[in-house]
Amino acid sequence: MMDKQMAYDIISFQLNGQLVQTELNAGERLSAALRDKMHSRDVKIGCDAGDCGACTVLIDGAPVCACLTPAHQANGREVETLSGLFLENQHAKNLADSFQNYGAAQCGICTPGMMVSAVALLNNNPTPNSDDVANALGGVLCRCTGYRAIIDAVIAAGTETSPYDAKGHTGAGIRRLDGLQKVNGTEQFGDDIAPSDALVIRVIRSPFHRACFHFGDLDAWAKGTPGIETVLTCVDVKGENCFGVIPPFADQPVFAEREARFRGEAVAAIVGLASSIENFDESGFPVVWEERPPSMTVFEAMERDAPLLHEHRVGNIMCGGFVSRGMPDATLNNSDATVEGHFSTSFVEHAYIEPEAGFALVKDGRVEVYACTQAPVMDLDELEKILGMQRADIRIVPTGIGGGFGSKLDISIQPYLAIAALKTGKPVRITYSRTESMQSTTKRHPAEMSVKIGASKNGKLTGMVFDGLFNTGAYASWGPTVSNRVPVHASGPYVLENYRAEAKGIHTNGPPSGAFRGFGVPQAAIAQESLFDELADKLDMDRLEFRLLNVLENNDETVCGQVFAQGVGIRACFEGLRPAWQTERKAAEVYNSKSKILRRGVGIAGGWYGCGNTSLPNPSTIKSGIRQDGTIVLHQGAMDIGQGANTAIAQIFATTLDVPVHQLELVGPDTDITPDAGKTSASRQTFVSGNAARLSAQALRKDIIKLVNAPQNAQIEIGQGEITISDGDIVHRIDLALLTPDADGFVLRAQETYDPPTKPLDENGQGEPYAQFGYAAHLVVVEVDTAMGTTRPIKFVAAHDVGHAVNPMLVKGQIHGGIAQGLGMALMEEYIPGQTENLHDYLIPTIGDIPPIETIIVEEPDAHGPFGAKGLGEHVLIPTAPALLNAIKDATGIRITNVPATPSRLRAAIRMHYKEQASG
Amino acid sequence: MRYERPDTMQAATALLAGAEAKSFVLAGGTDLLVRMQNDDFEADLIVDIKAISGMAKVTETDDGFVIGAGVPSVALFEDTALVAAWPGVVEAANLIGSTQIQGRCTIVGNLCNASPAADSVPALVAAGAVAQVAGPSGTRDVAVIDIPTGPGKTSLAKGEIIQAILLPKPNARTGDAYLRFIPRTEMDIAVVGVAVNLTLNEDGTVIAARVALGAVGPKVILVDTAAKAVIGSKLEDVVLQALSESCSAACTPINDKRGTVAFRTQVAGVLARRAAQTAYTRAGGK
Ligand SMILES: Cc1cc2nc3c(=O)[nH]c(=O)nc-3n(C[C@H](O)[C@H](O)[C@H](O)COP(=O)(O)OP(=O)(O)OC[C@H]3O[C@@H](n4cnc5c(N)ncnc54)[C@H](O)[C@@H]3O)c2cc1C
Ligand code: FES
Ligand code: FES
Repeated sequence: MMDKQMAYDIISFQLNGQLVQTELNAGERLSAALRDKMHSRDVKIGCDAGDCGACTVLIDGAPVCACLTPAHQANGREVETLSGLFLENQHAKNLADSFQNYGAAQCGICTPGMMVSAVALLNNNPTPNSDDVANALGGVLCRCTGYRAIIDAVIAAGTETSPYDAKGHTGAGIRRLDGLQKVNGTEQFGDDIAPSDALVIRVIRSPFHRACFHFGDLDAWAKGTPGIETVLTCVDVKGENCFGVIPPFADQPVFAEREARFRGEAVAAIVGLASSIENFDESGFPVVWEERPPSMTVFEAMERDAPLLHEHRVGNIMCGGFVSRGMPDATLNNSDATVEGHFSTSFVEHAYIEPEAGFALVKDGRVEVYACTQAPVMDLDELEKILGMQRADIRIVPTGIGGGFGSKLDISIQPYLAIAALKTGKPVRITYSRTESMQSTTKRHPAEMSVKIGASKNGKLTGMVFDGLFNTGAYASWGPTVSNRVPVHASGPYVLENYRAEAKGIHTNGPPSGAFRGFGVPQAAIAQESLFDELADKLDMDRLEFRLLNVLENNDETVCGQVFAQGVGIRACFEGLRPAWQTERKAAEVYNSKSKILRRGVGIAGGWYGCGNTSLPNPSTIKSGIRQDGTIVLHQGAMDIGQGANTAIAQIFATTLDVPVHQLELVGPDTDITPDAGKTSASRQTFVSGNAARLSAQALRKDIIKLVNAPQNAQIEIGQGEITISDGDIVHRIDLALLTPDADGFVLRAQETYDPPTKPLDENGQGEPYAQFGYAAHLVVVEVDTAMGTTRPIKFVAAHDVGHAVNPMLVKGQIHGGIAQGLGMALMEEYIPGQTENLHDYLIPTIGDIPPIETIIVEEPDAHGPFGAKGLGEHVLIPTAPALLNAIKDATGIRITNVPATPSRLRAAIRMHYKEQASG
Repeated sequence: MRYERPDTMQAATALLAGAEAKSFVLAGGTDLLVRMQNDDFEADLIVDIKAISGMAKVTETDDGFVIGAGVPSVALFEDTALVAAWPGVVEAANLIGSTQIQGRCTIVGNLCNASPAADSVPALVAAGAVAQVAGPSGTRDVAVIDIPTGPGKTSLAKGEIIQAILLPKPNARTGDAYLRFIPRTEMDIAVVGVAVNLTLNEDGTVIAARVALGAVGPKVILVDTAAKAVIGSKLEDVVLQALSESCSAACTPINDKRGTVAFRTQVAGVLARRAAQTAYTRAGGK
């Protein structure tokens, strides 16, 4: 703990060309001084430890991490940040353009660090190649883009003009409509909005995986500690001290009551002045811990005498999912060839660059929460219960969100903010440290999967049995969804008449596992696609042709007995990979004939994913209207978490209404003014909210045309204060001033809801779980250094059936980003509670880890999707990990079944393999 | 906590010598600022040495190079003479963190932080570098290998500050190289680091060698057996094998999630072989 007595100093420096002066605390970081004292909130904090580079600024032209720069060392020097560079530096202006053209800023939280670093590079080297760019930007992490678009954007900066599309309708790869604020430093994320005098909340967390605790005299402690306003514990939860995204399974307390069930679980929170919280010494806080032995793996938790995490969940089994058809056991016994294997995966951290942050206040008796979220209305549902307040008295205003990937579907900071604001009556803020974010928010489920698959001599699949245990951690979160989704998807996009799959969610004292791109399907795909390669090899068949022999086609039955008459695009995806598969395999063979230690291999894998909730209602509502002045307003309630919903939904709306997309005014998902467009998860926004937007535009268009009794195909043009409707030579004019505006100021309005058609699953998992599936197949070439166990991916080819590419640039962005996350999961990412709780020890891919990616967009229109479009957000990483594992096998002959395939693990397997070969 | 920015080395050493409780030198701050965030970090005095004049310079002298303690590692690879003379040292410094870290961090900080995995340290040791240590009673020269004594520990006495690193002028036909192993492409702490410095005679026979290992023991290891294995050879396959084995034999690593004992030991051998080949080529060997 630092000595509390601070010495103050005054320094002055040039900030973006202006002389500034400030007082400093001893040891104060430049990042903190810039953000808190100079309102340079375009300098982002992702880790406060030099690992993410989000805080990069220029000092005398050199890029440095502001979080590792003592502010004192800026004295007398010149400091530049993105917002200043954007106004004054030509390279920055060019980069701002090309970042938008290439989709190099998705969520935008890494963008200031990326662009500032790129400016430094271009100042010295105006024509860099991709290696130069990777070198210069290697210290800045991005979790969304997969980096390739960033590399392309930096190389292209200043050399290309922007592709402008006047209408911007679906099919056009237009820039993001909300892109400018991401590249000029003005986007406001969760930590960027609070007034600087807001009280600060800090959560007290369990240092143990499992422990009982009790408090000393909290009131006395608060009174006796300068600057502390109040302490919050479970007694401050006026409603239910229990939340959970799936209400029947809700089991997580806002503050633990007697026992903490995982390391990092909240037991209390202190609220106080920023300076006091900053220097708060946790060791003085009156809490006594009593550590208890934890169950960390599903096997430990399932032992007969293992303590129950939740009394009513016998055997620590949270719930299970089941799909069965035909006679899998009998057919497997009689199959010409069978393969089986056990596969294990780890906790994976979402590692968005923006730690959870937000701000809240009480206004006119209502509590308003401004925070980063993927699901504003679900936040409202949870707060209504937790606060025990009228729903009408709570307002959720989502801020910009610096990545979510599933974890920001669950509430995190929201209850602390709301409870603290209500208790103190003052504005409050909270920002998780990187470690807190990693310890306390959800993870991808570690899986233990035993799988057996059979085929006949001619290569037709005969049967498959899948048994999966998913470590759902201390609380349910999205565990039930994972258990339900996995059995429906574990077959992959193939015809399997004899199939049984069971998945169980098991509680342990790990962090709660929740939603992470794919809800368990990526784990299942690792097992299934790995074994498909083994089976093809056993049958001596080409691995790609084996898959093609078994893929689902239109009118085939899925393992749930569902039939799609159109839109099954997996064959087209695999066929798209065929040319690369053939040439790359030959090339690898040639390479390997001359290289012993470095071995190349090619891997492929496929995947599918059902869009929307599994057999459950899943509506989105989109409201739109026209004002008297002719402004077209789209209440776009689908949270844009970087994937581009603001743009894609607007494109669908504009296309249907037949107006240029740039004419729309977007209103965001503030729960006071915008209807519920559902959560941003399950790859549902383009499909479900897109359809609601289409219906909303259709209704609006109908109303306009009705006013003049023109035929439905008439052309409309919405101008200033008027609408012109042309029906061949007949032209009608509507003077909007003559119409009466409603309370929202609309003279014409529409609000429409879309809910995808599904049917419940019976006790054997038969039914219609999703209205649509999307399909994908990836190919990867790797080079394995067999002496050290390192895997270097050299090239990806990714084929995706998206039904209709509403915005091809956004589609590519999703594919690249998904591949980067799939690569991380396959090769390096392993969250170990207590050991990898920062971005130094938890490794995610950097710019140098992602090879070039060729994308193939397949468009097999879906019967229900808007303009045939399908969801994509999660499909993108499902085939990546198994394709990599298959490529490693192709290169080395070694099948890794325990991911990640770290060098240490792969090298150990290589040693064993050669030993066995030598002795056998 | 006090924060001081003295402008002379004398003032800096006096401040440290006079400090009653825990005090720290601050250079780039890339280690210290991270540590300062830990709840158990304690300090009463921080002495920032970046304002001391002459600290931020690389000077070429008749005997070699003097690298001031304030020189950020980015400045090393901008110095073409230094890059030509000691490419291995520069490439090691170039591996620390990222461009954004290298704009701040110093090789002296890397040395004094005394992490067993510090990248520049094996390269400095292989190059035979010397630390110029200033103290309340004058300066002394200490071989770089004698500065770290164990994880987080150095042989510096109270009040002492490393003022500069001295690199000798390389003999004719000398080449050095540094290789490390990390699980991803950039931005990670070495699991193993190997530096090799070779001098050849005219026909390409190795006549002098220094091989140093990082991250496989509590501090940097200078492997004499490895040097002996290559001296007198032209790095034939059997010699490389012997080099590799002696490096593996010298390892006393720990098990952690970045790499097991077996893995680190074996990789040290592989890297030694590869680094030796690069150093040999750089020295003009064919
Ligand atoms: C994101 C990140 C990545 C990193 N990656 C690497 C890496 O790949 N390889 C690697 O080796 N290191 C790495 N580091 C560690 C660190 O950057 C290096 O050790 C760096 O060289 C330290 O230099 P500095 O000037 O910043 O040291 P400081 O933090 O200023 O000081 C480090 C220590 O040395 C002492 N000290 C500094 N100067 C002197 C002096 N002149 N005399 C006496 N004592 C002194 C300080 O008191 C302190 O204890 C990384 C750090 C971060 C944050
Ligand atoms: S916030 Fe500075 S590097 Fe992450
Ligand atoms: S765009 Fe890079 S982290 Fe989101």
